[in-house]
Amino acid sequence: MPEEKLAGEGEYVVQMKGINKVYPNGVAANQNVDFFLKKGEIHALMGENGAGKSTLMKMLFGLEQPTSGEIIVNGERLNITSPAVAIEHEIGMVHQHFMLVPSLSVAENMVLGMVPKKSGIFIDKVRAIEITREYSEKYNLHVEPEARVADIPVGMKQKVEILKALVRGAKILILDEPTAVLTTQETVELFKEMKSLKEQGYTIVFISHKLNEIMEITDRLTILRGGRSMGVYNTKDVTKEQISRLMVGRDVILEIQKDKAKPSDVVLRVRDLEFTNSMNRKMLDNVSFDVRKGEILGIAGVEGNGQKELVDILFNFQRPNGGSAAVNGENILGVSQEKIREMGVSLVPEDRMIYGIASTASIEENLISDRCGAKRLNKGPVFNMGAIHSESDRLIEEFTVLCKSRRQQVGMLSGGNIQKVVVAREFSNNPALIIADQPTRGIDVGATEFIRKKLLELSRSGIAVLLISADLNEVMELSDSLIVMHNGHIAAYFEDTADLTDAEMGEYMLGLKHQSPEEIGRVCHD
Amino acid sequence: MTKRREIGFTLIRGFLAILIALLVATLLIFISAEGDGIGEKMEAAGEALKQLLIGPLFRMGKNGTSFELKRLADVFAAMIPTIFTGLSVCVMFSANQFNLGSEGGSMLGAFVAGMIAVYVPMAAGIHPVVAVLAAGVAVAVVMLIPAVLKAKMGVSEMVNSLMLNYIIMYIIKYLMSTHLADKSKGQIQSFPFMETAKIGPIVDNSVFTGAKLTWGFVVALIAVVIVAVFMYRTRWGYSIRMIGINQSFSMYSGMKVGAVVVLSQVLGGFLAGVGGGIEMLGRYPTFSWSALPGYGWTGITIAILAGNNPLYVPLAAFFMAYLSKGCDLMATYAGVPAQLIDIIQGVIFLFFAAEQFMARYRQKLVVKTAQEELQRKNAQSLEEGGAVNV
Repeated sequence: MPEEKLAGEGEYVVQMKGINKVYPNGVAANQNVDFFLKKGEIHALMGENGAGKSTLMKMLFGLEQPTSGEIIVNGERLNITSPAVAIEHEIGMVHQHFMLVPSLSVAENMVLGMVPKKSGIFIDKVRAIEITREYSEKYNLHVEPEARVADIPVGMKQKVEILKALVRGAKILILDEPTAVLTTQETVELFKEMKSLKEQGYTIVFISHKLNEIMEITDRLTILRGGRSMGVYNTKDVTKEQISRLMVGRDVILEIQKDKAKPSDVVLRVRDLEFTNSMNRKMLDNVSFDVRKGEILGIAGVEGNGQKELVDILFNFQRPNGGSAAVNGENILGVSQEKIREMGVSLVPEDRMIYGIASTASIEENLISDRCGAKRLNKGPVFNMGAIHSESDRLIEEFTVLCKSRRQQVGMLSGGNIQKVVVAREFSNNPALIIADQPTRGIDVGATEFIRKKLLELSRSGIAVLLISADLNEVMELSDSLIVMHNGHIAAYFEDTADLTDAEMGEYMLGLKHQSPEEIGRVCHD
Repeated sequence: MTKRREIGFTLIRGFLAILIALLVATLLIFISAEGDGIGEKMEAAGEALKQLLIGPLFRMGKNGTSFELKRLADVFAAMIPTIFTGLSVCVMFSANQFNLGSEGGSMLGAFVAGMIAVYVPMAAGIHPVVAVLAAGVAVAVVMLIPAVLKAKMGVSEMVNSLMLNYIIMYIIKYLMSTHLADKSKGQIQSFPFMETAKIGPIVDNSVFTGAKLTWGFVVALIAVVIVAVFMYRTRWGYSIRMIGINQSFSMYSGMKVGAVVVLSQVLGGFLAGVGGGIEMLGRYPTFSWSALPGYGWTGITIAILAGNNPLYVPLAAFFMAYLSKGCDLMATYAGVPAQLIDIIQGVIFLFFAAEQFMARYRQKLVVKTAQEELQRKNAQSLEEGGAVNV
């Protein structure tokens, strides 16, 4: 199955040979990695979080320098010391987090750093717009040159990024997890554009860990695991199962076995929640639902349809304009986070780096942040260090956090392990309700599987779980019942997720269909 | 990196930093040294360097060089107020509160302790204790101003506390030159402190008395331990540090962020006040300060050198006190101009505190350690293998 080595080095536009990279913190991100790109192919770079994908591509784009190894582009051995050198050799990169200036127009962003001038002084905005139009048409990537970047949708921002690379003459495009931020429809469009670029002779590196996408769009794939290459394969020769085994080193059960929920009393009761944001947009409109003991209630929906606001309000990061929410009969709106936690509410936050952890503190310090005042961890005025050590060691073991010791800085861990630290804390303080907001976003398959299983296990032990996820597979597989949010409304409620189809969900998510108030009302178990 | 390599690196770096700084200092001293011809200049520069390096410990006279306890005691005595301000800044900076009020705080503490020593009679044992505690409490209360404004309204504590220093200073100056002045004296000063209020030397002999190495030094070291325990072994110290690292995380975790923001600054104020009070009652017979003492600024330097870790504060304070003593001696005995002293002090500090200094060498060590670790791991997992094909 591994592809045979073909003679003639000429067919490769990029050859990275024996690449090693050790970061200043001692992390060996790449070990003796070989990466070869053929001209005109779409090549997937796959691997779990922390496998070294981004590092490898950063070295190709000149953002990092390899500790050893050589990089050959178009037959020329290069020392890529900065992105400027990479761009000079026709390499372009589209980052996962857009590098655009939100307050400037699309056209201004396009020409940043290569601004056309009028009489050598003034910025020639007309010319900038012309350039943008020209490229936009040539590559069939539709953007609005005069719109402010802050006002355009995510999908268009990405096109601007791709165009930016093309304007600078890139023939090799690196796309770092481009679909992570896109809706299903936008993804379809992106794939069309990628295929059209390929036909025009462009070479594309596609970083992703979504197996379906890889199978659909790529020609070949390189798999990294723990900083090492696990080989190069023709996409058509391998199955999803083989890929995922190569990525994590074992068979991953992608389908979760679950027995039927036996929900009992209502834990979280939300009624008529209303919220209008500072831009005067109604983000939550008459939202009512219940979450019961022993069930996972999923909230599906395209991002930006009120899910974030709902979570913020439930955890008092935001005050609603109206409505009520109670946990076991006790109001939680406008109550301090300390009280909310005392009532037994745990939150796995969407943004783990901002809310979930203190990155320069140790793993141990991150594990006790919600319980540092607990009697069992204190001896009078001082900490009971013995109890704290044994509690953190226990959590590290139970949640299989990969680390050197509890004293290690949490920020040094890979994304999946950081999330395991967050989850270990949130799941272990005897919660009555767990709010899991995008619990597996951007983390590797192994950690994802672990967290999902844990959530299921906890719900079956009688904890109420509210799961918010933009990952359709996740909400549909994990939830016992499910609501779909669209435009601040609950658009649909499904009591049973067993025979739901993606297509049906999609129609509710995009607002093409809407259930009747009676049907939706069934989510309130009065 | 392994622990041993890390420590080795820190030592080598510190040593080299001082060496380079001394070379630069030597050059400067040489340029400004008095004397005709290179020979004489060399001699003068050598003399100056000697004063800087070993002067704080040894007396150099006609009869050769001899260790002098008095000088070491002087260095220790100089550490008393700066250990307190250093701790004060450590606590506040750990919570990410850039409160610069330790400067005015130590002056206010000195003032309050001094006034109690002048006007409130008490028994010998408790008089200094009460005076110093009152000084701490007074400064803690004043620090509520920037602290509460920050916690409730988000007003920058840096600007507020900086301005507060001058408000404190001018109010004290006003009181000292009007209501509280001993008008029988030629300069602005208070009436003399009562004998009961004074803080005595640790050992009653001429060395300790002369150097003013008082019980305050012992109290300062005890304070170091207490603050270290507070910061690393209690839930409040933990909250202070977590809020310093990530405030959103702390709020989400259910900590009382506002209260801790206030606590850190009040505690910082208390420490600065105690330091000022101890310094005043240990060293002076009356209150006669008419300007900010500078202990707060030194405290900031010390906290930065110590990496906000209270346990390193005495070391950093010693370094600063030694350096300053050495420079004083150099000015007094070797005729190095006073302006140059500040430059030399600055150069030494700069190299010592520069984090990027020798970063490349550090990176090499890091790579070496990581590779060794990998080799071990690879040896273990050789049989696992994996399809590595191109």
